[in-house]
Amino acid sequence: MRRLPTGLAGALLSVLALTLTATACGGPPHAASAPPADGASAPPDRVEPLAGPPRPELPVTVRSADGRELTVRRAERVVPLSGSLSEIVFTLGLGDRVVARDVTATFEQAAELPVVTRGHDVSAESVLSLRPDLVIAESGTGPAEAMDQIRAAGTPVLVVEAATGLDDVGPRIEAVAGALGVPSAGRELTRRTEERIAAVTESAPREGTKPRVAFLYLRGSASVYLIGGRDSGATSLIEAAGAVDAGAESGLEKDFTAITSEALVKAAPDALLVMAKGLESVGGVDGLVKIPGVAQTPAGMDRRIVSVEDGVLLNYGPRTDQVLTSVVEQLYGGGEA
Amino acid sequence: MKRPFGVKRPPGVIRLRNRPVPPAAPVPGEVLAEVEGLSVRLGAREVLAEVGVRVRAGEVLALVGPNGAGKSTLLSVLAADLPPTAGCVRIHGCPARDWSAPELALRRAVLPQSASLSFPFTVEEVVRMGRAPWTAARPEDDDAAVAGAMAATEVTGFAARPFSALSGGERARVALARVLAQRTPLVLLDEPTAALDLRHQELVLRLCRERALAGDAVVVVLHDLGLAAAYAHRVAVLRAGRIAADGLPREVFTEGLLSEVYDQPVEVFPHPRTGAVLVHPDRTGRPSA
Amino acid sequence: MSVLEKTVREPVTPAPVRGRRTTAWLLTAGLVAGLVVLVPVAAGTGAYPVPVGDVLASVQHRSGLGGGELDRVAESVLWNVRFPRIVLALLVGASLGCAGALMQGVFGNPLAEPGVIGVSSGAAVGAVAAIALGLNFAGNWTVSLLAFVAGLFTVLLVYGMSRSGGRTEVVTLILTGIAVNAFAGALIGLFLFFADTAAINQITFWQLGSLSQATWPKVLAVLPCAALGLTVAPLYARRLDLLALGERPARHLGVDVERLRIVLVLVIALLTAAAVSVSGIIGFVGLVVPHLLRMAAGPGHRLLLPGSALLGALVLLAADLTARTVAEPAELPLGVLTALLGSPFFFWLLRRTRRRQGGWA
Repeated sequence: MRRLPTGLAGALLSVLALTLTATACGGPPHAASAPPADGASAPPDRVEPLAGPPRPELPVTVRSADGRELTVRRAERVVPLSGSLSEIVFTLGLGDRVVARDVTATFEQAAELPVVTRGHDVSAESVLSLRPDLVIAESGTGPAEAMDQIRAAGTPVLVVEAATGLDDVGPRIEAVAGALGVPSAGRELTRRTEERIAAVTESAPREGTKPRVAFLYLRGSASVYLIGGRDSGATSLIEAAGAVDAGAESGLEKDFTAITSEALVKAAPDALLVMAKGLESVGGVDGLVKIPGVAQTPAGMDRRIVSVEDGVLLNYGPRTDQVLTSVVEQLYGGGEA
Repeated sequence: MKRPFGVKRPPGVIRLRNRPVPPAAPVPGEVLAEVEGLSVRLGAREVLAEVGVRVRAGEVLALVGPNGAGKSTLLSVLAADLPPTAGCVRIHGCPARDWSAPELALRRAVLPQSASLSFPFTVEEVVRMGRAPWTAARPEDDDAAVAGAMAATEVTGFAARPFSALSGGERARVALARVLAQRTPLVLLDEPTAALDLRHQELVLRLCRERALAGDAVVVVLHDLGLAAAYAHRVAVLRAGRIAADGLPREVFTEGLLSEVYDQPVEVFPHPRTGAVLVHPDRTGRPSA
Repeated sequence: MSVLEKTVREPVTPAPVRGRRTTAWLLTAGLVAGLVVLVPVAAGTGAYPVPVGDVLASVQHRSGLGGGELDRVAESVLWNVRFPRIVLALLVGASLGCAGALMQGVFGNPLAEPGVIGVSSGAAVGAVAAIALGLNFAGNWTVSLLAFVAGLFTVLLVYGMSRSGGRTEVVTLILTGIAVNAFAGALIGLFLFFADTAAINQITFWQLGSLSQATWPKVLAVLPCAALGLTVAPLYARRLDLLALGERPARHLGVDVERLRIVLVLVIALLTAAAVSVSGIIGFVGLVVPHLLRMAAGPGHRLLLPGSALLGALVLLAADLTARTVAEPAELPLGVLTALLGSPFFFWLLRRTRRRQGGWA
């Protein structure tokens, strides 16, 4: 599954609730899932569509990431089931064909669309009620039963391999563009995006030892930290910024692992990568560097904190260069914090 | 000693289909329940030892004795609730463990010391539960048995009230009505008079006499020796898990025996008018106020 | 003339019993009518609009009685999405309602619910293990299958551990259940610890309880368990009535209490485990439904058992209809909805019963 940061927030809150109620689980469930936080975004939360909307050439038959072949005859009513996929469709210049959004598609052009899904919670009926002629899903979008029901109603479903790093940006754009009948626009967007990312990567300082960055998931100041490992999705971003992912480097494979304050001190990261809402929940950078465990790391002592909006951090897509730029600036810019 | 169906039935499902057969009407004097050489151990404590008792059709047998003497335990053994540690128990001629629960339910009814109910059934529904063992009975017979039992115990007036809304004495009479409605030849009552007023105590023991007169066997645990003397055909006195005496009330109720068994001076004297046996604690030695 | 003989001739007053019997018939008819009305309404309501007339036409068409086929999407929504969900809601509701009534009857305790003997928590451990460890040996069925097996196994474990000398004390059984439930809670916590974020997300949704993943194969998987349980349960109605007197008095009236309890605990486990394995944990239906019926028609199990199944089906269908329409196009977790509405209602019931009868017994 593509790990959408906002979905993550809800999930982890639920973990807390579940842990609290675990002993009483014979009774009724009272762990209400916190609805994924709405990505209250920074002002320029817009996508930049290609100049001149392309004209889809349909029908096309493409192979989906789940191994099925699908034929797209029309693409007048498109439903992308994640924010990242929405972003690709809009940036290709086909945003006027999108009829609904996942709760994670928060950029300006899509914000007015009705919300049809909330991450891992697809209702076949809700999707079908929009009478889509193409549904685009991540490889982890589910439940599988709902996806099967959408297919059973005769709606083509394009499944795109979930992104785990920068290398996935191009293939994802081209998969979406192919199914929409605009392969050349896809190639153009891929080129544009990859060039921009490369430019940022080159701008990152290369001299000296690479800083070690720990991706921390924060909620409140409980002294249990969830540290991102190899599967967190942030590793390639950190590496592109010329740094080392401390979590992945220390051999953590899971997306997030709970570690103690002392383990964090021992890991001694030079910088911390956090999400904006998480940072807010601990009282900003001032609050974060006072938390036991964080305070004793080089990152805490130097106040070297990289904060990125929840909605875009792991959205590998046409706007990833902006995220990367922001990471590089915060990491080497002397820290405005 | 013949099993009701002659052969041992295969265990399991088939028994569901076999309706238990009600017993024939008992012959007066027939032994409906008996224990021999009975010992019961509960944990480390020997509750009953070397007890032998016979319960005959047509008689009321009162079990009396001080607290903890084993009266209720003996009743439980006779009811086939409690397996003996040693000795044998026969009910209607067969070892108690050979009867199935449905067969036993047609042969003996038991009134527990306290009546409880998990759900708010009405009085009539509770009494009707006594008819449950009679799976083959005609509905008229069931209705008659229920109405008769309710009238006899004077609970007809609140037939429609929930059992939970009754007072202790009323509950006790409803429970008794249920036991009577079961219409078994052997009736075992554990302190049926404990919660009752004077009038209803008399009523209950009169009912016991009537059942005996009709040919049934009644075993009743009593604390009131006067009631036992007045209504029992036979009395068994228990002391520390053993039978101290067993016989007619006037033979058994002697000042010496009772004073010793209860560890309390007791006077026994005839009623000035009727000559009936009266038992009274001797209070002459008590400290004056 | 003896007291007994004298009274036998007096006319019997069967008024209260007859009154209750009439209530019972009316209630059954009302529940069936409620289902007959609610099913087509539920089939016609949802994010994808299908008018009730079209629903009936499509049903007629499929059963070869005229009518007409709808367009492909509507037909597919109706037959692949909504009908399986409705049927599953009916089966799960009936199973939970009936299991609740059985549970309260078997334990002679109006507050008992199947969770007490570990079905739900056991099933949860199975489901959580399947999700957290990424088990996939039975495809999409792995979670349900493991939940079912673990639920049944837990009940047998609780029962086996609380049995000694061929007998089971109710209090021991419930205390064992508490211990096993706590252990299951710890296991769930442990699996959560090892799970990754996606798995945690999935576990959360599973625990909240939902029928959104209803499919015909799931309906077919639950059907035999529900059918068996719902058929067997009423056979024990009379014996459960007697059990209300207590264990010993029930035995005196010919009930083989120990066997009754084994059979019914198995039936409860079967009904609940099957329901929980496809729907997650849906609370309060099993607890509240039998109470409502007892209030309306008395505690007799001959009505209570089938009635709880009917009312459970009705309540869960209505709850599921609400869950999937109230926050359209998103969906409220069903288990959250039933607990949200069920717990205050149950509290009200408690107060009312205390006021009216001064307690439960």
